[in-house]
Amino acid sequence: MSQLMTLLAEDPIPTRYSLLSRLQNWDDQESWKDFFDTYWRLIYSVAIKSGLTETEAQDVVQETIISVAKDVNKFKRDRSLGSFKGWLRNLTRWRIADALRKRTRRDDHATSQEEFVPVENIPAPSDNEAIWEEEWQANLLEAAIDRVKHRVKEEHYQMFDLYVLKHWPVTRVAKTLGVNIGQVYLAKHRVASLIKKEIRALEERW
Amino acid sequence: MTVDKSNASAMTPRDPTGSGSSSSKTAAFPVVPDHELIRLIGSGSSGQVWLAKNALGTYRAIKVVYEKTFRHRRPFEREFNGILKFEPLSRLHDGLVDVLHVGRNDAAGYFYCIMELADDVNTAQAVNPDEYQPRTLAHDLTRRKQVPVPECVRLGATIASALHFLHERGLIHRDIKPSNIIFVNGAPKLADIGLVAQISEARSYVGTEGFIPPEGPGTAQADLYSLGKVLYEISTGKDRNDYPELPPDLGNTRHDRDLIQFSKIVVKACRANSNQRFKTADAMLAALLAFQFSVDDPIKERNRQRLINIIGIAGAVIGITVFTILIWRLVWLLKHGQ
Repeated sequence: MSQLMTLLAEDPIPTRYSLLSRLQNWDDQESWKDFFDTYWRLIYSVAIKSGLTETEAQDVVQETIISVAKDVNKFKRDRSLGSFKGWLRNLTRWRIADALRKRTRRDDHATSQEEFVPVENIPAPSDNEAIWEEEWQANLLEAAIDRVKHRVKEEHYQMFDLYVLKHWPVTRVAKTLGVNIGQVYLAKHRVASLIKKEIRALEERW
Repeated sequence: MTVDKSNASAMTPRDPTGSGSSSSKTAAFPVVPDHELIRLIGSGSSGQVWLAKNALGTYRAIKVVYEKTFRHRRPFEREFNGILKFEPLSRLHDGLVDVLHVGRNDAAGYFYCIMELADDVNTAQAVNPDEYQPRTLAHDLTRRKQVPVPECVRLGATIASALHFLHERGLIHRDIKPSNIIFVNGAPKLADIGLVAQISEARSYVGTEGFIPPEGPGTAQADLYSLGKVLYEISTGKDRNDYPELPPDLGNTRHDRDLIQFSKIVVKACRANSNQRFKTADAMLAALLAFQFSVDDPIKERNRQRLINIIGIAGAVIGITVFTILIWRLVWLLKHGQ
């Protein structure tokens, strides 16, 4: 979670713009924007945990989403390809492998090694499954929070944020925001149930 | 307004690269009568901004907008007409950057506007052309993470008042963000008037992600939403995309209590539901001014503290006196056996 919070600080917008301009032949820009906003952090953080640099990870985000765009109709038709989660994991894994291959080729030719990552930083394949599962769950939660954040009353989100996400004691939240404890519990309940609903919707989308 | 076709009176621009005379480089310089263009200090989708010096030796900022950056002639003309309408108004409000002159060069396909220059980030009005960097609110945020609440309120009130002035005259800004708020003689002013448009004509999608309301840009209320996001960033030190989160290190200091109260104005400007936002700039201005009265300035705070001390001491003296009288009375009663 904390890692994802750090990632939130990264500015995804330039990547999204350049990606969307490459996807301009696709009919529905809005849904690709939404797709990007929902999944870029997942792909990005898995790429970083696989030992890629920030620039390489951004490329992996772009390439993976382009792969999704290219094959999504095939995926929707052919259920033998498995769950969306597994399919996206495979696409991400392949694009990470492409980036690593590209790096090997570059290292063979280049004299500069400034972006070189020691081989021991690249996780063993057995870790991949666990990393993906962990990031998938964290990403679902983050994506759901992002969606809910702009739909609930701002004051409710502020209470939820301080109490649940920032782990403040309920009395401190109430005192700081000048509300009573009951209002904090109510806000937590409202926001949390919307987030749960949103997670279910995200899981069932594919 | 000047329609400049001959450029006969134009001064020769300096080579910005400093590499001596290169005709190909100087040929790309726009030519502005009676001004020496010194250095490109900014460029964006809507044009270039040059540091320039007029014939009297005063430094100015000159914005040059090329027709070729537009797909069609119509939007270029629309921008030009917007500036023409804005030019005389700009000098009537302290919160707007002064536009001193507007002209165009049809042969070369551009128009320009000459504006007062923002303070330098280090030397304010003492401009060294080689090192000049305009002081914008965005630059201030790189130096200090958070702006104290009383300063946010003053800045917010100045910009809200400038927006009220524009909106009343049928103009909107469309791209309010920290890099478009500059300081002149230390006072905040709304800049990049290249984007100012007449409300009836503001159809094109401009603005900056995160400062645009969910329903889209191009309305007077969208300007207020953007100002709300600017105030959110400067008061909390957080990114606009974190809105409405409050800083996690909020304590029980006077500043933090003020920040929470101030955030209520920010929220009212940025609510997801536009019906619940400020309807007009003067409503937002009124809320900011009312808040300004409730925020203690340092002198008021010192007086308040003094008053608390005096009341405390007086209370202690009265308490001790009453206690002494009671003890004395008790002793007296015991002595006299009653």
